[in-house]
Formats: sequence, C-alpha cells, structure tokens
Amino acid sequence: MAVEFKKIEGDSIQYFALVIVLAAVTASGFYAYVLDHEIAGLNGLSNRVPWGIVNAGIPYFIGLSAGSLIVSALAGVFNIKKYKVFSRIAAYMAAAWIIAAILSIALDIGKLYHFMNAVRYFNPTSIFSWNAFLYSSYFVICSVYLLVQFEEMERATRFMAGLAVFWAVLVHSGTGAIYSFVYSKELYHSALTPPMFIVCAITSGLGLLLANLYFTFRFTKRELDPKLIRGLALIFAGLMMILGYFLAVEGFEKGYIPALHEAVQFVFLTPTSGVFWSFWLLVIFGIAIPVIIVLNPKTGYDLRWISFAGILHAALVFAERFYLIVPGQVFPEEYLPGYKIESLHTLEGYIVTYTPTIIEWLQIIGLIAMVYLIFVVGVKVFALIPERAVEEVVEE
Amino acid sequence: MMSRRKFLLLTGAAAAGAFLTPQISAKTQFIESPEEVEAKRRWGMAVDVEKCTECMEELIAKTGNPEVKPPCVVACDKENNVPEFEEKRIDPQWMRIAKLELDKPGINPKEFYIPLLCNHCEHPPCVQVCLTQASFKRPDGIVEIDMHRCIGCRYCMIACPYGARSFNFRDPREGLKEVNPNVQMRTEGVVEKCTFCVHRIDEAIAKGEEPIPACVEACHKYGKGALVFGNVKDPNSEISKILRENIVVQLRANLGTDPHVFYTKLGGE
Repeated sequence: MAVEFKKIEGDSIQYFALVIVLAAVTASGFYAYVLDHEIAGLNGLSNRVPWGIVNAGIPYFIGLSAGSLIVSALAGVFNIKKYKVFSRIAAYMAAAWIIAAILSIALDIGKLYHFMNAVRYFNPTSIFSWNAFLYSSYFVICSVYLLVQFEEMERATRFMAGLAVFWAVLVHSGTGAIYSFVYSKELYHSALTPPMFIVCAITSGLGLLLANLYFTFRFTKRELDPKLIRGLALIFAGLMMILGYFLAVEGFEKGYIPALHEAVQFVFLTPTSGVFWSFWLLVIFGIAIPVIIVLNPKTGYDLRWISFAGILHAALVFAERFYLIVPGQVFPEEYLPGYKIESLHTLEGYIVTYTPTIIEWLQIIGLIAMVYLIFVVGVKVFALIPERAVEEVVEE
Repeated sequence: MMSRRKFLLLTGAAAAGAFLTPQISAKTQFIESPEEVEAKRRWGMAVDVEKCTECMEELIAKTGNPEVKPPCVVACDKENNVPEFEEKRIDPQWMRIAKLELDKPGINPKEFYIPLLCNHCEHPPCVQVCLTQASFKRPDGIVEIDMHRCIGCRYCMIACPYGARSFNFRDPREGLKEVNPNVQMRTEGVVEKCTFCVHRIDEAIAKGEEPIPACVEACHKYGKGALVFGNVKDPNSEISKILRENIVVQLRANLGTDPHVFYTKLGGE
C-alpha cells in the first residue's frame, strides 16, 4: 500500500478541549436561531431585503463542499497519485459542508415544520426545487464515495470520483442559477454567475483545505511535504486570478449599460454602503493579497503563509456571497422605466440598508463550528489522514 | 370473535368509503371545470392614474400627512387582516400607494400617485420559482399562496418584479385590532400578498353577482372611482371597455410576465 491512512489517538486534553469549544460554538449558533425565531426583530432582514447572510450561507457552504470534493476527486479522476493522500479528508469535508448547507436552508426558512414540503412537492420550473433534490443526492454520493475509499475499492473509487465531480459541478451551478436566473433584479441577472460559482467553489474549498491539511498534520505531528502543498497552492492562485477576471468582466458589462449607471455607482463607488465594502474587501483581501502570498517566493513555499492565504480567501468568499445576494435587494427596482417611484407605505423605491446582526452571524459561525466538530470527531473515528504525506512515498 | 362474513363486509365498506368519498366530493366541489373557467374568466384591474392622483392630492392637503392611507388601502388592510406594525421595514402591505415622477423633473415636475399591488401576472415569476408550488395561479388568473405549503424561503419575494410580497416576520395577529373571519389568518414565517379579494370573488360567482374587491369598493364609495375590477375575457365588461379605449401601461412589461393591473391616463390624456 502506497498510502497508509490511520485514525488519530484523540485522547489528549487539547483534543477534548477543542471538541468542547467547537460544540459550544455550534450550540450557540443553534441557540441564536431559536432566539431569532422566538423574538421578532433580532435580525436585520426586511421586506425589501428578505435574504440575508443566513441565506448567503447556503451557496457559501455548498461552494466549500463542491470545492473540497473537486479537489479530492482530482486524485481519482485524473489518477494523480500524489494528491491521493488528501482524497479522504476532502471527501469527508465535502459531506460535512453539505450538511451545513442544508442546515443553512433549514435555519433560513420561516416555517421549519413545513420543511419536508420542499421534498414532497416538486416544482419543475423552480431551480431551488431542483436543488433540493440535488443537495440530498449529492450528500449520498459523497458518502458512497467515501465508503468505497474506506473499503479500498480501486475501480469503484475512480467511478465515484468522476460521478462526484460531475454532481458537484451540477449542484453548484444550480445554486448559482438560483440567484442569477432571477430576472426581476438587474443586479442579480448574470449568466456568468454559475461558472463563477464553480471557480469560487474550487478556490474557497482549496484554500480551506490547504489550511486544514497544515493544521491537521501539525496537530497530529505527522509528516507533510511542502512540495505537495506548493502544487495545490499554485492551482489555488491561478483560479483566484480567474475569479478576479470574472468579477471584472461582470462589473464592466454592468457599468457599460446606461440604465445601470446609478446602480453600478452605488455598488462599486459608494463607501457608505456595506455592499461597496463586500466587493472591495473581496478583491483586495480575498484575491489580491492571497495571490501575492502564493506567488511571492519568500512566502509561497511557507506552509504557514499558504494556510493564511487559504483562510483569508475562504473567509472573504463569504463577502462574495454577500456581494451576490444583497446589492440586488437594497438597490430599488424600476417599476416603470423612466419614472422615479417612491412608495408612501413601504420602503419601495428607496435605497435600503441591510446590516447583519450578531444573531445572524452566530448562526453562520455555529454552522462552521459544527463542520469542524464533525471533522475533529471524524479523524478519531475514521481513518482519514495518511500517516505521512510525502511526494516520494506516494509515487512508489 | 368476528365472523368471516362480518369482516369481509366491514373491510368492503371501508374500502368503498375510502374510494368513493373523494369521488363524490370531487364532483360536488367544482361547479365548473378549470378549462371552462379559463375560457370564461380572467380577472384584472384598471387604474385611472389621473383620478387616483386627484384623490391622493386632496387627501394629503386635507390631512397634512404625506403618508396618509387612502380609502382603498385602509379597506384592503381591514378586509384581508393585513397587520399594522410601527416599523416600515417589516410591516406587511398588500396594497400601497406610490408617488411617481418623471426621472427628469426639469422637463415635467408633475407628480402622480398610483396604487401598487400584486399584478396577478399571466406568467408569474413567483409561481415559477416556488419550491413547493405553494404559490399557484388559478384558472381565472388569480395568483394565490397555499399557507400550509409555504416554507417561508422567500424566493418568491426575490423573484417578484413588483415587490408585491411581504414576509411575516411577526405573527400578524400582534398587529391587528380586529379580525375579519372571512379571510384566512396567516401565521409568522410565511409570505403573503394581495389575492384580488379572492373570497369575495368566489362568493359573488357562486351567487351569480359581479365580484368587487374591497379596495375597488372603497375607491368608488369614498374615493374618486379610479379603480375598476372585472373580467377581461368578457368584451362587454367595464374593464374591457377601458382597456380598449385607453393607452394602457403595464409595469415592467418588458419582462414578459404580462401583469394584469393596467394603468391608464398616465399622461393625462
């Protein structure tokens, strides 16, 4: 066997402390949900901005899941042996993130006890309805893929890897389409969103995986070859630049349309709005700085710097989701082109604000903590991490 | 101990009951088939913007309140149990009035007032996107929400081009002084919107009368008669005549949703 996967001991005080901390943060997230639904007015949502950051959690977590899985399956589909060491960990994380995504939907909807209606009643014209089917099937595919890896079934693993990549692309394009096929809001509608979602998924999934690998191997005192990480980091940087390119094309296209000048001015050039910051923070801290870190020879070979770049990017992809979901809602629609409309009894026709509250943030942070709780427990229960991840060993 | 004969009789009766009951009720529930309804009726509303503006200007001058609720909005709120909350941010509103002004006030500074409500589109985006088919279009064109099916995902609110939908961030009962028992009560966590007063329409049709939504009734009783409701498939109806004789504007017609609230006399013709 070229790669030896092994469970961790998991009996140190630090390990249990980590489990307890993660469990506590997870619990606080769910408690925030309970509060949010029992006491009115704790969130920043409104009838003009009905989708906030808990909703943004859906594409964010699915992105991390799809990204993680695509990276994992690299080894299987293209038979790149050296990346096989990461395949289990990535597939496991993919399954954990999709649970977070489905829970994000559950936390976001207004009537939780009607949730099963989404599965019972199918609307063929609703993209979200399709996704309800895609998400659940995706979770099953992730689990089976992981299972055949545990059982060391070579051919089945390759087949499942191919299927999983295909399904991940389908699921995540579908998620992008939920938002970008909305034609009622000019700032939503963009055919670039689904492909951008795929790129963004891979970059954020990869970024987090890089950091995850570094900390896991360090914490468990196992060997990790910087050369392996370097290869992944270069893919990571390249894809981040493609993401930047997509964002630029989309922005310039919108800016070219006279009807959208006011909206574009508001989104990109008005520092008093959160929308402005979500975009520019993403561009500077989410794309430019991580790319520089990876490409700079002084930092690009250092696992700590690469992990930092990975976390920075993955965290700011959340800003990308904010930038995708919120601007179209806070900027008013033009009901009658050429006319300015201001409602006397609602906030229609006005630029509204949306500031996520601590209660909303806690739900997102709680779900992230839950995923890492699943991971930390998982490495103890399942053989996910290879004993050593060194290039030569694997290529034997 | 039950005899075999008794057992067979009982199971037979139970099976027949289970099979026949829906058949019987299905026959008694529908007077007309969906196809018949679709061929006969399509509800719509026409708004005389000139009259609406006149009414609003008078009301604002009289009350000194630029956000005054005209009779149509008050009637709608009362009829449909639309709650009243202090915070505009989360206050559900089925019908509301908007001030309209040309984007170039230097050329024409005149301000108009128009009512905004659900447009009961022919191709409703809300129905298109609804996860559970909780939003649906009836054969007579009315777009409704099944509150028992709605999961409160708010996709329809994002998809609606006319901001017609409100989410119940709070239990509507907290914002109601009195309840109209004829209209279904909603709960916290679902989306609601104008139904063209569907309960009034169904009642009127069953009695063979002309249906009239609460806003239209109030507009004629206390306002200027700017709103006209009717069947656009009946060439002799008042609304059909208005639509034939005027320049008609639909909101965001470019989206292809074919809204069925028509605005006339926008230019004061």
